[in-house]
Parts: sequence; C-alpha cells; structure tokens
Amino acid sequence: MARPTTPPTNLATPVWRRPWVGWATALVVVVVFVVAPLYLSVLTNQTIARVGVFAVAVLGLNVVMGYTGQVSLGQIFFVGLGAYVTAYGVTQGWNVVLVFVLACLVPALVGLVVALAAARLGGLAIAMVTIALPIVGVPLAKRLSDVTGGSEGLSTSFAGAPAWSGLADDQWQVYLVLVVGGAAFLLTRSLVRGKYGRAFAIVKGNEAVASSMGISPYRYKVLAFTVASLIGGVSGFLYMVVVQYTSPETLAFNHSIDLVVAMVIGGSASIVGSLLGGAVYILLPQLTSNIDSSLTVLLQGVVLLAVLFVLPGGLVSLPRALTRGRRRSGADRGPVAPPTSPSSTTAAEEPLTERQGHA
Amino acid sequence: MGKFVQLVVDGLSTGSIYGAIALAIVLVNQATGLINFAQGGMAVLSAYVAWELTTHGVPLVLAIIASVVFALLLGAVVERWLIRRFEGGEPDTAVVVTIGLLTLLTGLCGWLWTYNNKQFPSLFPLGTVSVGGVSISIRSIGTTLVIVVAMVLLQVLFVGTKLGLALRAVAINPESAAFSGLRVGRLLMVGWGLAAGLGAVAGALVAPQLTLTPGMLDGPLVYALAAVILGGLSSPVGVVVAAWIIGVLENLAAVYVSFIGFDLKVAVPFVLIFVVLLVRPQGLFGRKTVVRV
Repeated sequence: MARPTTPPTNLATPVWRRPWVGWATALVVVVVFVVAPLYLSVLTNQTIARVGVFAVAVLGLNVVMGYTGQVSLGQIFFVGLGAYVTAYGVTQGWNVVLVFVLACLVPALVGLVVALAAARLGGLAIAMVTIALPIVGVPLAKRLSDVTGGSEGLSTSFAGAPAWSGLADDQWQVYLVLVVGGAAFLLTRSLVRGKYGRAFAIVKGNEAVASSMGISPYRYKVLAFTVASLIGGVSGFLYMVVVQYTSPETLAFNHSIDLVVAMVIGGSASIVGSLLGGAVYILLPQLTSNIDSSLTVLLQGVVLLAVLFVLPGGLVSLPRALTRGRRRSGADRGPVAPPTSPSSTTAAEEPLTERQGHA
Repeated sequence: MGKFVQLVVDGLSTGSIYGAIALAIVLVNQATGLINFAQGGMAVLSAYVAWELTTHGVPLVLAIIASVVFALLLGAVVERWLIRRFEGGEPDTAVVVTIGLLTLLTGLCGWLWTYNNKQFPSLFPLGTVSVGGVSISIRSIGTTLVIVVAMVLLQVLFVGTKLGLALRAVAINPESAAFSGLRVGRLLMVGWGLAAGLGAVAGALVAPQLTLTPGMLDGPLVYALAAVILGGLSSPVGVVVAAWIIGVLENLAAVYVSFIGFDLKVAVPFVLIFVVLLVRPQGLFGRKTVVRV
C-alpha cells in the first residue's frame, strides 16, 4: 500500500497536488484552449467567449466579495460601464488600445469613489450601498442618451477577425477573450496569492486583528473594491467584443444578483471557482430554461440555496468534498491526503499512524 | 404652495412604505445581526396571497389581514428552516442566503402568477380631500396613518409587553438571554415573523400604486436600505424619520430639480448617503459602535 520509492515528504502531498501536475494541467488546458476554437462550431465558440466574459466579471466580484469578504451587489454596474465606455470610444473612432485602457480606468475610478464613501461604514454597508449602483445606473443610462444611445443602446462591431489571421470572427473573438481574460486571471491570481491577498484575507477574517497588525481595513476594502471595478471594466470591454451590443438592460439589477449567485455556486475566494462561476452564469439559465423557462429564476434560487446548504465552498470544492467523504467511509484504503483544513484533524489521525507503521 | 404640500404628503406616504420595510430590516438585524435582502420579496409573496384571496371574493381588508398572518408564519418558517443554519456563521454567507431567498421568492411569484402586472385593489378611495384649500389624496393620508399605527403597535409590543421585553433581551445578548431561560430560537422566529408581517402591510398598501409584479419591491427595498444607512442600524426611530426625509426629498427633487426628474429620483437618497457617510458615518441617529475584541 505504501510507496517505498517516493520520499516520505511527498507522501504528504497527493498526486494531484504536486507542482508538476499543476503545471502539466495548466499546459494541457492552454493547448486545448488554443486548438479547440479552430474545430468547434460557431455557437460553441460564442458560448465559450460569453463564459469567458462573465468569468472575468465573477473574478472581479470574487476579489471584493470572496477574498475580502465585502458583499457587493453592484458588480454588473461596472461591467456595464466598461461596455458603455468601449462602445462610445469605438463609435468615436478612438484607438482600440486607448479604448481598452479607458474601459478599465473609468470603472476603476468610479469604483474608487464609491468605495471611499461605502467602506466607511463597517459590515454590510457596502452591500446596501452597492445595491443602488444598478438601480441608479439603468435610469441614468437611459437619461444620458447622447452618450449611451438611451433605451436603444449602442451597438458596435470592432472585433472582427483581421484578414491576416485567416480566422473566422467567432474564433478571433474567443482568442481575444482568452488572451485578455487569461491575463486578467493570471494577474488576479498573483494579486490574491501575494501580500495584498493575505491582507485581504485578514480583513475578511477579522478587522480588529487586521488593524492591530497595521493593516487598515478601510484602505484594503477600498483597494479590493477598486480592483473589482477595474476587472469589471475589463469584462465590459470583452462583453462588447463578444456581444457587440449594450443597453441599459446590460446593467440591470437582476444581472447583478445573477453574478453573486454564479460566484457562490462556482466557488467563493477561488480562481478556478470564478471560471466555473462564469460557466454557471451562462449555462445555468440555458439549462433551466430547457426544463421550463418560467422556472428559471426559481431554480436559480433553489440551486443557490442548495449549494449554500450542501457545498458552501461552491462547485470548486466538490472534488475535495468527495475525497473527504470517501476518506471517512473507508479509512483503510491506504495512504490518503492529509487534512487540508484544521477542522478535519480527527480524520487525519488514523492514516498518519498507519503510514508510520509501513515506514 | 398647494402643489408643495401635496408633494410633501405624498412623499410622507411613500416614505412610510420605505420606513416600514426599513423597520422590518432593522428588527431582523437587531435580532440576528444580518441584513435580510429578501424582506421585500417576502412582502411581495404576501401581497400575492392577498391578491389571490381577493380574486376568490374575499373582502380586501380580510385578505390583507390573512396575508399579514401568512407573512408572520412565513417569517418564522424562514428563520427556523433557512436562516437558523447560518446564524452565528459568517454574516456574508447569511446575506447571500437572503439573496438566494429573494431570487427564490421572486421566481416562485413569477412561476405561480407570471411576471405580468396585476391590478391590486386599493384599500382607500382614489379621491382627494381639501385641507385649508390644499387637496391631498386620501390614499396618501391613509397609507401614512396605517403604517404609523402599525409602528406604534410594534413599539407598544416591544416596550409594554413581556414578549417585547424577551425579544429585546434576545436582540441585546442572545447568550445571556438563553442563560436566563428565554427560548432564543422561538423568539427569533417571532422577531422574523413580526418583521415579515410589517413588510406585508407595506406591500399591500403600495401594491395598488406600483401594480403587483414579482419585482415590485426591489425599488422600495433599495430606498429602505438607504433609510437604514441614513438612520443607523441601531435606531428604529431614526430609520423611520430617514425614510420620511427620503420620501419627501425625492418627491420634491423630482418636480423642482429638472435634471433629476422622475426617472432619476432614485439617485436622491444615495447622494444623501454619500454626503452623510462622509460627514457622519454612524448614520443620522445611530450610535458609534465600539467593537470589543
């Protein structure tokens, strides 16, 4: 049962947790993503692109909500803002790179201003203030019709495949989403795994402890919210790449709720969870409307509550939950993973002693 | 001048609706320390129950009373079977639970009664009365009065009865309350029930104006949350006053400030919040909270 060839230190790490496995998986995923769009149907490519767009939006939400613990109900507002900035810039004939930069900066700036006020109140005030963003945003977008096109919205198509690439439009768009979204994911991953991520986690865990360590909860909440808004802007830019149309409906309140639902179902405070969240955002409504379109919202609520009850970590924690269950049911099945959380210490005792017996 | 008075009275009436929902939110927050984003959704479901009863020939007043009773039970059931499990955990998770509940309730109403607008009969006649040469709509006066009476009754319950004392004890310190023999769980159910009942009153009163849809109270919920922030979570009186201020101000701003108009008046309370947050972060009437580590 024990593997004598492997050094004892490695016994502590299950196969799927060793570094080379992670890199190999990443490589495989990248290769699949590079090759697949060339062979998939237009519809599938478009779906993948949409999943990517909203995965980025969920990723932004995760920075402020999952990692920093500040419930935000306004993320869709920043997605919509990014989309509007993009649409406006493109119709004005500005350079696409400039448009992209603006689509990031404008939402970030607005997010910064909102957060400066909202983060002053502790606890759930951010949730209560940010709920206003989409509710105010929709009539505002209708009102500023000179810029936003009013209720009709703006439609632009600027992300057609260039002739030299020899790609179809949908393939080009998938690649754009993959590159820009992938960059956003990688940068966010470094952010939340580094010094700032640790500060976010402490602010989430206990604000008093954070302040006693010299970490200003206020400053890090504002920072997290601003980063989330910026990522929302990126998502809005990608939204225009893929959907090519935005209207006040884009930033409606129910979509903001949908984003929160998707984030929690995908997995809060998780990079992979954000990706799953994007898939949930696009695919769950499609799935439920296949059953009965009038049931869509109801089923969404049921799924969310069911996930909160059964799988609080979201879909991303499913493998871990399954292995934990298996470990509990069959402790005599050989060397198994050590506890990933201190809460399962009792489950760890038996395998540990067993391993020592073999060594 | 006549128009001004009319606007103020109408503002007080809508402000009362926001105030009732805000008060329900404060009740729940004091008992369980979380913000119930489904407070409006629960009220909408109750309003649908009242509407369904009226279509079966039940008199409106009875239907509304029945819907309030339904809301009392709904609140208790939600607390016991849904929220209880997440109490004492992370408040963020509990908030997401209430968001899930809001989605669930909206979906349930949409599924059972479709998303089309339903005409809800009004408890008050549509006419106006003339007070000192100013005509004021009866509905506005009636709405305000009913809500004020409901709030006074709640106040009497909280201050003057043994149940109210127990509820306050649980709100202040659940552990101590439990040690002194109070059944905390059951009292929390009562608290949630009362909050939902108050919401149901507000829902039935505002439904004729907004017409009944599953998302009917999403807007008022936002106003109520604004009132909660402005008034401070620890101050029921402050919350109601803030709701009235918001109701009146947004009405006046919609008419007298041409840029705002009726479509953007929802922004008024939030501009107000911005100013208040920068000047007085604990809310207009709230106390500064000191966190013990």
